[in-house]
Amino acid sequence: MRLLLLVVALLAGCAAVQPSAPPAPPQENVAIAGLMDTARADAAAGRLPSAAASLERALRIEPRNPRLWQELARVRLAQGEYAQAEGLAARSNSWAGSDGALRAENWRLIAQAREAHGDADGARAALNTAERYGR
Amino acid sequence: MARRRKSWRFLRFGLLVAALLAAGYTLYLDVRVRREFEGRRFALPARIYARPLELHVGLRVPEADVVRELSGLGYRPAARAGESGWFVQDGAQLEIAARTFVFWDGPQPAKRLRVTFDGDAVTALTDAQGQALPLARLEPLPIGGIYPTNNEDRVLVRLGEVPKPLVDELIAVEDRRFYTHHGFDPRGLARAALSLVTGRVEGGSTLTQQLVKNFFLTPERTLQRKLTELLMAVLLELHYDKQEILETYLNEIYLGQDRDRAIHGIGLAAQFYFGRDVGQLTLAESALLVGMVKGPAVYDPYRHPRRALERRNLVLRETLDQRSITRAQYDAARATELGLNPKPAMGTSPYPAFVQLVHRQLLRDYDERDLRSEGLRIFTTLDPRVQAAAERALTERLAEFDRQRRFGEPGLQGAVVVADPQSGEVQALVGGRDPRYQGFNRALDADRQVGSLLKPAIYLTALAEPSRYTLATPLDDGPFVWKSRGSPDWRPANYDKRFHGAVPLQAALAHSYNVAAARLGTALGVERVLATAQKLGIERPLSPYPSTLLGAANLSPFEMAQMYQTIASGGFRSPLHAIRDVTTLDGRPLKRYPLAVEQAFAPEPVYLLVAALQDVVREGTAQGLASWLPPQLAVAGKTGTTNDERDAWFAGFTGDRLGVVWVGYDDNRVARLTGSTAAVPVWGDMMAALEPEQLALPRPEGIEQVAIDPQSGLRAGAGCDGALELPFIQGSAPSAQAPCTGVALTERVKNWFERLFGQ
Repeated sequence: MRLLLLVVALLAGCAAVQPSAPPAPPQENVAIAGLMDTARADAAAGRLPSAAASLERALRIEPRNPRLWQELARVRLAQGEYAQAEGLAARSNSWAGSDGALRAENWRLIAQAREAHGDADGARAALNTAERYGR
Repeated sequence: MARRRKSWRFLRFGLLVAALLAAGYTLYLDVRVRREFEGRRFALPARIYARPLELHVGLRVPEADVVRELSGLGYRPAARAGESGWFVQDGAQLEIAARTFVFWDGPQPAKRLRVTFDGDAVTALTDAQGQALPLARLEPLPIGGIYPTNNEDRVLVRLGEVPKPLVDELIAVEDRRFYTHHGFDPRGLARAALSLVTGRVEGGSTLTQQLVKNFFLTPERTLQRKLTELLMAVLLELHYDKQEILETYLNEIYLGQDRDRAIHGIGLAAQFYFGRDVGQLTLAESALLVGMVKGPAVYDPYRHPRRALERRNLVLRETLDQRSITRAQYDAARATELGLNPKPAMGTSPYPAFVQLVHRQLLRDYDERDLRSEGLRIFTTLDPRVQAAAERALTERLAEFDRQRRFGEPGLQGAVVVADPQSGEVQALVGGRDPRYQGFNRALDADRQVGSLLKPAIYLTALAEPSRYTLATPLDDGPFVWKSRGSPDWRPANYDKRFHGAVPLQAALAHSYNVAAARLGTALGVERVLATAQKLGIERPLSPYPSTLLGAANLSPFEMAQMYQTIASGGFRSPLHAIRDVTTLDGRPLKRYPLAVEQAFAPEPVYLLVAALQDVVREGTAQGLASWLPPQLAVAGKTGTTNDERDAWFAGFTGDRLGVVWVGYDDNRVARLTGSTAAVPVWGDMMAALEPEQLALPRPEGIEQVAIDPQSGLRAGAGCDGALELPFIQGSAPSAQAPCTGVALTERVKNWFERLFGQ
């Protein structure tokens, strides 16, 4: 257990020193936050196309925000657009920099998309990758 | 006597036949009137909108551009109490009374906004009470439509929306007894009959007759047609009440011409001439429109303002005479100016090339007939700012090249495509040097040799094999012959007609060496390279010949933009698209075109390719871009020049925009222009005007930076001077340590790495 913690700490350390994408704006953009809230409310109420539309609006403002890509991946997954969900989660990964938790979540989304797609092996591989990034 | 009786019988018989015929004809007309009037639905064009401008703190946009957008929307530059649709500019502050607008995600109410600018960015955004707003979406600019035959355009209104004074004016001027007659006015008819004697058939038409004439009949002026019109007017009045007839009249009436677009109906006329909804028209404004009914060309207020003003005042006078308005109202209205919307003429579209792309993409999901009649609302991705920059850059540069070179008529042509690399949204499309020209769209339909623009497909294929190829791998640019049975030997040559020996892969791309690329491509296999091109988004099948590697393939600027989109986004292909949403006329969402992303390549090799394409701009064939954009932007791109300099290309991208420029002659004449000398300047002009963002592709996890000794191309040790950092896919960097002996350089040793990196 201690060993595991050590490994996790090491991994986290590695991730932290790794050069990352251009820094996100220091404080959360209020416009983005508002759109994200709208999207979450819409998604929760099952209005998935509206949720996607709000996230796309947000992405036009901040195309490098990995959380937006991830949220959109989640909406697509809920819409049953598995290939799109996987592509969008991968896109989120490309902007995730050293955020291991975010990457792990993206890989879990990819795993779900593959699972739903009937790709059990692919799903398992994605879950393993998610594990690597810790929880 | 008998004879007389006989002729009487004949007469009676004749009368009977005539009556029967007349009855039959009337019946026929009746059926026609009823069927056409009831089944009548005005054909409404699909209306196309640009992207809406989303204002928020931090948005980089010059205040002048926002003002231009508002003016384009017909917003007036002065406050109008109790109304929206205006703005007031006060230094760095802009107050906007935004109109209500129905977006695809529902109606957005009218709203007062205060926007503060600092430099070219929004620093504050509040409502009228000073309450901060996170985001404000302006209504999108209408950029054209897909029109019914005759390019008729109209905006339907209900009679209830039309101000009563307008109806009063109309009746005062065109048909005073409208509410009492039965479709025709005997007195007017008498006048018309009288004029028959003088040989001119004119006047005396009631509103009903005018409507019948516009609806069912051709414009010829014969007695028979006049009688038919009269009969139909009576029939129309029999079946429909005055309100229905009036409403239809107000929507049908022709009120002017906007280039090739015909302005029909009072609703569109109010918007076109005054930038207002019909309900907001003033007495004077509606008087002008009513006055124009008689002759929209004669009383065109833009071309004949004096005449139009006199006509308007006459309408006011007649309305006063009918006691429909008071003396005070009359005096006040008469004293006003015409007050026209300064909006420039647009015709069917100011952006025909982009609208053509929209139309084609719509035809995948809609019938042509529906597009031309159902009044669909199409929300697109066009960014008017980007479009304006692209148009200006292309037209001005082409005019300049023509002056410099004088290669005769017709002059040079060109095309530009600009897209968002992250989403594949097309932001601008210019189809030729006259951006208003509705014909041949070179951005979509010019099939031209692409030359070196295809080379990234070769290098990406190579870089995907890190065990064999890295950016530092030496390539052979010595003489090369490709032999294949049944076809002549292929001996590719470099643009400078020289061979360059061993060159690092990155430099071979930066300087666009054909021989090194041909050798690399054939070593990898033409089919594999073409498969990469296909994955990059080139859907058209390419000939599997080695010459295709060097761009002996005819493709359009739009197809090239798709290929570079995939590269610019780090390997994620998003189909280039021009439409976001479609709604019905009343705003019900019909179809969304969602952002689509497919990971076509692993991020690592694309990252290396982009690094090499940045080198094209830093050191290679596109280094001229430094005159437009600072090196910190780290722009990536590729030039292309085809045989005998017939086509000049540049495809490049920044952090936020991807652009492809093509320049050449339509008849494929020798242009004596290269990608560097012709396409790069257009691209540079355009992008510099748009203040692009830095290109900073996120570094994938599997990439490491390794210091390389520029002399040997090997891993630099601690003792190496001037070591260079290059990205490598993990484990692919050279393992051997450079000697770094500090031996004095000789010209012979001063190898490509140094020249490449400017040591």
